[in-house]
Amino acid sequence: MQPIISLKNLVKFYGSKQVLKGINLDIYPGQVIGYIGPNGAGKSTTVKILCGLISDFEGEVIIDGINLKEDPLTVKSRIGYVPELAELYDVLTPAEFLGLMAELYGLAPDIASDRITKMLTAFGLEANINDRMDTFSKGMRQKVLISSGLLHNPDIIILDEPLSGLDANSVIIVKDLISKLAKDGKTIFYCSHMMDVVEKVSDRIVLINEGTVIADGSFEELKQEQGNQSLEKIFAQLTAKESLSDAADQLMHAFGNQ
Amino acid sequence: MNIINRFFLFCLMLLSPLYRKLGVSVTQLRSILQAKLIMDDRRPNSIQQAQLRKGKKPIRFATIGTMLYAAFLGMVFLISFAVGKDADTKLMIYYSFFVVMLASVLISDFTSVLIDVRDTMIILPKPVNDATFLLSRLLHIVIHVTKIVLPMTFSGIITVWIMYGGLSVFPFFVELIAATLFTIFLINAVYILILKVTTPQKFKTVISYFQIFFGIVVYASYQLLPRMIDKVALGNYTVNEYSFINLVPTYWFARAWSYLHEGIFFSPGGIYFLLTLLLPVFSIWAVIKYFAPAFNRKLSMISGSDTEPISVKTDQKKIKKSTTSAYIRNAAKLLTQKGTERMGFLFTWKMMSRSRDFKMKVYPSIGYMVVYFVLILAGGSSSRHTSFKDMTDPSKPVAPVVVLTLIYMSCFIIIMAIMRIMYSDKYKASWIYYITPVAAPGRFISGALKSAILKFCAPALMVVNLFLLVFTGWRTLPNLLLGSANVIFTLAFIAYLLLNKLPFSVSDTNTSRSRSGFLRGLLAMFLPFLLSALHYLVYKNTIVVLIIAVLSFIAGWLMMDAIASKSWQKVQLAELSE
Repeated sequence: MQPIISLKNLVKFYGSKQVLKGINLDIYPGQVIGYIGPNGAGKSTTVKILCGLISDFEGEVIIDGINLKEDPLTVKSRIGYVPELAELYDVLTPAEFLGLMAELYGLAPDIASDRITKMLTAFGLEANINDRMDTFSKGMRQKVLISSGLLHNPDIIILDEPLSGLDANSVIIVKDLISKLAKDGKTIFYCSHMMDVVEKVSDRIVLINEGTVIADGSFEELKQEQGNQSLEKIFAQLTAKESLSDAADQLMHAFGNQ
Repeated sequence: MNIINRFFLFCLMLLSPLYRKLGVSVTQLRSILQAKLIMDDRRPNSIQQAQLRKGKKPIRFATIGTMLYAAFLGMVFLISFAVGKDADTKLMIYYSFFVVMLASVLISDFTSVLIDVRDTMIILPKPVNDATFLLSRLLHIVIHVTKIVLPMTFSGIITVWIMYGGLSVFPFFVELIAATLFTIFLINAVYILILKVTTPQKFKTVISYFQIFFGIVVYASYQLLPRMIDKVALGNYTVNEYSFINLVPTYWFARAWSYLHEGIFFSPGGIYFLLTLLLPVFSIWAVIKYFAPAFNRKLSMISGSDTEPISVKTDQKKIKKSTTSAYIRNAAKLLTQKGTERMGFLFTWKMMSRSRDFKMKVYPSIGYMVVYFVLILAGGSSSRHTSFKDMTDPSKPVAPVVVLTLIYMSCFIIIMAIMRIMYSDKYKASWIYYITPVAAPGRFISGALKSAILKFCAPALMVVNLFLLVFTGWRTLPNLLLGSANVIFTLAFIAYLLLNKLPFSVSDTNTSRSRSGFLRGLLAMFLPFLLSALHYLVYKNTIVVLIIAVLSFIAGWLMMDAIASKSWQKVQLAELSE
């Protein structure tokens, strides 16, 4: 099978600092990739390259047989992106904002408005469809963002901490949505710090640290390699330089009673 | 979208075939512009930003507000047509006004409106090509600038028409376009300069200082200029006498207009015309060549979304010592009791000096009041044709009135600043007061009040007192002392009545003031008048004045203690809820 996303020797420098040191990944349709790593490991940089936000990288990114550098527009139209920070034009209403997104993706207005209503209704935002988003809570904004990422029915969906700010019921909806999208043949690239969620939703986990992939496989495979423990423990084992319980000890020592 | 925006959009979309040839997707372009224009209409403009917005009404029709403001500013420029004996002088002053004012309006808009850093996250991941994206940005800038320039110059165009005839309007307009491009270049240059000397994080603060400064200058020039103009002398004035004037770009615009107006092809004025044509070309070239590349990158850092996270410092030497200056720590030791009060003092001091929100609200109002102050003095001296020195001459009967007015007026300036310490845009952070075991919240308020008094009242009194000492001599000193003591007492008294919330704990938009609060406010404002009247009665009796001064100081101190002993019942709980 041909990979839908193929990263070949991906390298990126910020000034003299090398953030990505040759990432190689082949991702197949229908996979849910849990992309994890500590802060500064290069997660966001990879995502930004995939979305076309960063164009001055070295190496090759092939999306469904198309080279990102040669035809970024076609690639962008295949990808749906839900950014981490709730970056949206919040003086617009959800209808206006999503309408703009739809136009940018070249969706026909009648299809778009139908989809927008249906998606926002599913998220329970039908009453707020014409309210300005500057009054919205973080969770409501996140729902609009998720809708904006799915609106054009993309083949690849990149989610950067999509659950932040969502209440428990919405978390269930989104998790359920992820598995249904995957069953439908969509490829999902899921970035998160929440190990328990990554453990459950993804069928392949890619762990990067300091710009290189240090573990790649299903949760079961990782458990076999690293001992039968939770993803959180495996993560700590692979990425923490010093023992984390030492740090906790030091924190306890700060009280000065030992 | 309102009709004005719709009109601009319609006009620009007439060129669609051209855009298509450039490889632009017209439907995407239209929808981006449409969204941008809707957003413009809902964003507070530069004047609304500086004002305290009452209530939480969503902003609508901001476009029309901006245009009316620009039209109003434009009318102020008309003063220039009353100055000078020749067109060169009049127009040079007009163009100078125009360039400065346009820059002042645009400088704050550039980051917030025109170069919206969120675009990177929202539009760039979409299948939008570079040509479409760049053109949407460019056209948005064109629309935005046009919306300001047209109303701003409308009154000027009419005036030129009346003074020099219909044919003169076209060259006037051509030079306005050149001046506009030049202004945009200037703003870019200022931006680059600011980014060079400061970090992107501090950028917004510097820009807000610009805004505050310009706001006060506009107000002052509007209030003072018409009064100060001596019509006879200025009517005969001409800039053509000075050779250095050839270096001033706005002079070129004026001369170029004259050249076009006269219509003589071979004349020295042609050089200026050429200069004004080359200036925008050079500006655009410089912007693209030197400014744009570094600019966009740095701009995206302003939002903070693209910055590299500040790494945790491990180098022990680099750990900074407390940033609070020794001056403030000593003042705190001197003025406050240990514990809650001192903490409130230091906390408030830091917040007042660092919070952009606080400075943006307080400094302009102080500036306006100072202008008003000067205005009253200037008005007073010009109407009676006496100098300030005469008025404050101790032998004149008017002297006490002037002295007392000056001192007690400072109350009104400071009280606004003091009342602002309750408010903050980060009011939700005030949960810290409620989860900590603070027994007497009043101590927090008294500490905060002392801090605000030291920050605003002490310098104001110092300036006023020094000023009066210089003019009236040392014999006024007892009266100055009494005045200052009374001012401090008044502030403490008003704070006792009105400062019922913990510092920086109330939302800006919260305007639910009770009626009793309003009455108390009125009463409090009456106090300076009452005290100054009483002071006037004893003004000549130095012994009495000194005794009352001491009593007043004690009363002020006791008032502070009364504030410090306020209980939780009196300190109303600020709304922590959303």
